[in-house]
Amino acid sequence: MLKKLLLSASVTAAATLLSAGPVFAACATDSLPGSLEGPGGYPERALTMIVPYGPAGGSGQVAQAMAEAVTELTKVSINRDHKPGGSGTVGMTAYMAAPADGYSVLEHIDDASSAHALDSGRPNPADDLIPLVTSQITFSQIYIRTEEDRFTDWDSFVEWVKAQGGKASIANVSKEGSMERVTMRFITDATGMEIQQISFDKGAPRYGALAGGQVDALFEQPGDVRNFLDAGKFKPILTILKESPSAFADVPNLTDAGLDFEPLLRFRGFYVHKDAPAERVEWLKWAFQKAYCEPSYQAYNESKFMTLIDSYRDTAGSQELITSTIGQYRDVYKAMGLEVK
Amino acid sequence: MEVLNNFLGGTVTLFSDPVGILIFFGGVVGGMLFGAIPGVSMLTLAAILLPFTAHLSPEHGIMLFSVIYCTGVYGGAITAILFNIPGAPENAPTAFDGYPMTQKGQAGKAVGAAVMCSAIGGSVSCVIMMIATAPIADWAISAFGPPEIFALVFFGLAVAASVGAKTFWKGWLSILIGLMIAVVGLDPVGGIERYDFDMPYLLAGIHFIPMILGFFAVSEVFVQAEKKVTGAYKAPKLSVDFPSFRELWAHKIAVVRSIIIGFFCGILPGIGATLAAFMGYNEAVRWSKDRMEFGKGKLEGVISSETANNSATGAAMIPLLALGLPGGALTAMMVGVFQMHDMEPGPLVFINSPDLVWVVFAAMFFANVSIIFIGFLETKTIINLLRIPFQFLAPMILLLATVGAYAVRGLPIDVLVMFIAGVGGFFLRRSGYSVAGIVLGLILGKIGEQTFAQAMQMLHFEFSGYLERPIALGLLIAGFMTLLASVYGAFFKTQPVANKPAEETANT
Repeated sequence: MLKKLLLSASVTAAATLLSAGPVFAACATDSLPGSLEGPGGYPERALTMIVPYGPAGGSGQVAQAMAEAVTELTKVSINRDHKPGGSGTVGMTAYMAAPADGYSVLEHIDDASSAHALDSGRPNPADDLIPLVTSQITFSQIYIRTEEDRFTDWDSFVEWVKAQGGKASIANVSKEGSMERVTMRFITDATGMEIQQISFDKGAPRYGALAGGQVDALFEQPGDVRNFLDAGKFKPILTILKESPSAFADVPNLTDAGLDFEPLLRFRGFYVHKDAPAERVEWLKWAFQKAYCEPSYQAYNESKFMTLIDSYRDTAGSQELITSTIGQYRDVYKAMGLEVK
Repeated sequence: MEVLNNFLGGTVTLFSDPVGILIFFGGVVGGMLFGAIPGVSMLTLAAILLPFTAHLSPEHGIMLFSVIYCTGVYGGAITAILFNIPGAPENAPTAFDGYPMTQKGQAGKAVGAAVMCSAIGGSVSCVIMMIATAPIADWAISAFGPPEIFALVFFGLAVAASVGAKTFWKGWLSILIGLMIAVVGLDPVGGIERYDFDMPYLLAGIHFIPMILGFFAVSEVFVQAEKKVTGAYKAPKLSVDFPSFRELWAHKIAVVRSIIIGFFCGILPGIGATLAAFMGYNEAVRWSKDRMEFGKGKLEGVISSETANNSATGAAMIPLLALGLPGGALTAMMVGVFQMHDMEPGPLVFINSPDLVWVVFAAMFFANVSIIFIGFLETKTIINLLRIPFQFLAPMILLLATVGAYAVRGLPIDVLVMFIAGVGGFFLRRSGYSVAGIVLGLILGKIGEQTFAQAMQMLHFEFSGYLERPIALGLLIAGFMTLLASVYGAFFKTQPVANKPAEETANT
């Protein structure tokens, strides 16, 4: 019990210490002007933000936090329009069909990049859209139950999984070509582990599967399971980064575990049509980038463990991130034998 | 005793604060109203209110959402019963028998039963929630994984063919149509594209709310319009006679059964009130001596569905508060309310914020009790909408259904899907097929397919794995036995409804 509390306290304290300080965000967009007048009285009405996922998930929450921050900054209202379905395809399609007048923006995640990598017929977020800001970038970890006694750390986990002859299981979102499946492929290839991946598309059943002992491990991002970490229910045994963030200094990273591959990141950002009027796009860039540093948005990111690595990219940085991610996925897909269109 | 003291403490805190009382009653009325309007559900209200909860205390914010949850699940029953428009998917089984009762001039009885049973189901599950949140939550997630949930769905589907169809075989064909619609779009586990014909909207699957609105509301308007044209139309008799205590008492076993079923479904993360309502209804059918009367205006159908869906509300709070696992979309939004106040639901809430927990528990209990009073008041007035002549009521129903279908995702194609389902439902009903069966297949099929695929992954693609999971095995055996019994009945027994004209049944 004491061990659990200590672990929980150390994780929380480290995260708080790190996120409270001016490490990354002192703040990234402080150099931007505090206010900027829109061109020709723009925007004259509320903006619409299309969100390709439901309101309760990670995208829904970041969309809400960003919309509120932009409104605080500019006094311009933003109506969120959730269009879930098809792993973000429905929302993307609806957005591409919306008028390119600068009054509608899109929230999307790295799934849009991996979808384009697999099928170039799908929109490329770096070319077919203009990224306004990437406001969340995070990494993944592998978790086990804190009370688990069959294995207690990464090395003993690998050893135990190998002994099960393919009967061990891990909960994730293992859709074809997903970041989770690709990363697990890297890990299993490098370690020689054979592990059954159980795909849960919603968070609650996924976390419940680990908490209830239905699966042996969980692949997830730390912000999404923070309450389980704080409560001492789950513990990370591998950080899928080459260097450990200080909040998870005691958790082995890829280098420590002898795994040599480029980690894939989860990122969420905001976009506008590439054909939207250029002056309006400039105003939107300013509003969304500046809103990133609004206290309410920073507080939200901190609560989600989104300040452990640099979560901010401006337009050029986002394009670079997306383009490199697409290239990385495409290489992996080819190596996996998937048909890349 | 400690539970009672805590409950009284929560009650005093709730009702000694004028702002708290205002928020409580606002949530009760708002949940009922938004629950009653199809498409514009309690989730819509919750999404609108979510940003404003940042300005409320954590107790008030969570309490508001929990109250909306309780009354919102009930609210959709009224339009389901009166107009065949379920306010939300969890009210669809209520329409199976509630609307035929309206047509028989028993709207008051159906609505009264819905009010009473929603209140009973919700209140009892609240009491269980107060007594044993933590142990129940731990047990549920340990005992019920995807294999058990799939087996539960199979068990439910095995009896669904007998709901509302003219013959056993048409009942099964109806279920299979529903299952077929359910597999359109990305497969829920591997993300494989199926039957999308390169259309992104089909890739996302056919949303069940437009289908429910089409099969129920739109097809019903067509059926009644045909009767109007042919001179066979009879306006539903207006009745505000609520069920007597004796009538309700006669269904006590159905109420207890649905409470148990609703509670079980509610505590499973990601399952919630919709499966609860369908399973509650299905079990009522399974254990009834008049199985073939379901779908034609049987009070027990309304009682079972409404008890079960409200019973799921208290239960859904258990994994949320004890483990931080939301059971559905509304409880997931509650996580957002917690986070806005720098809190996380989970075991630490009981230690760090016991006052909040007990205010929420008390509010949920009284919200369920208030359904009785406000529900009766509301229905005494709303039932009078049945006085409106059909030629005026029909366009209103179509308008409301259109708004509901569009509001789901803001996609015009959902409206088109609703009208296609309406036309299809009209012809299927004329031929003796069951639209209720199609909806059962669609809803249970989506959950069943996902959990089956997950179960097979967990069992390493070996069916023999079920032998090591006694709960799943028991449910599968019971499901197969039900199937065999119904096949035997179809071949060797006379079917009491086979000779009845399809027009006599509203949702067949």
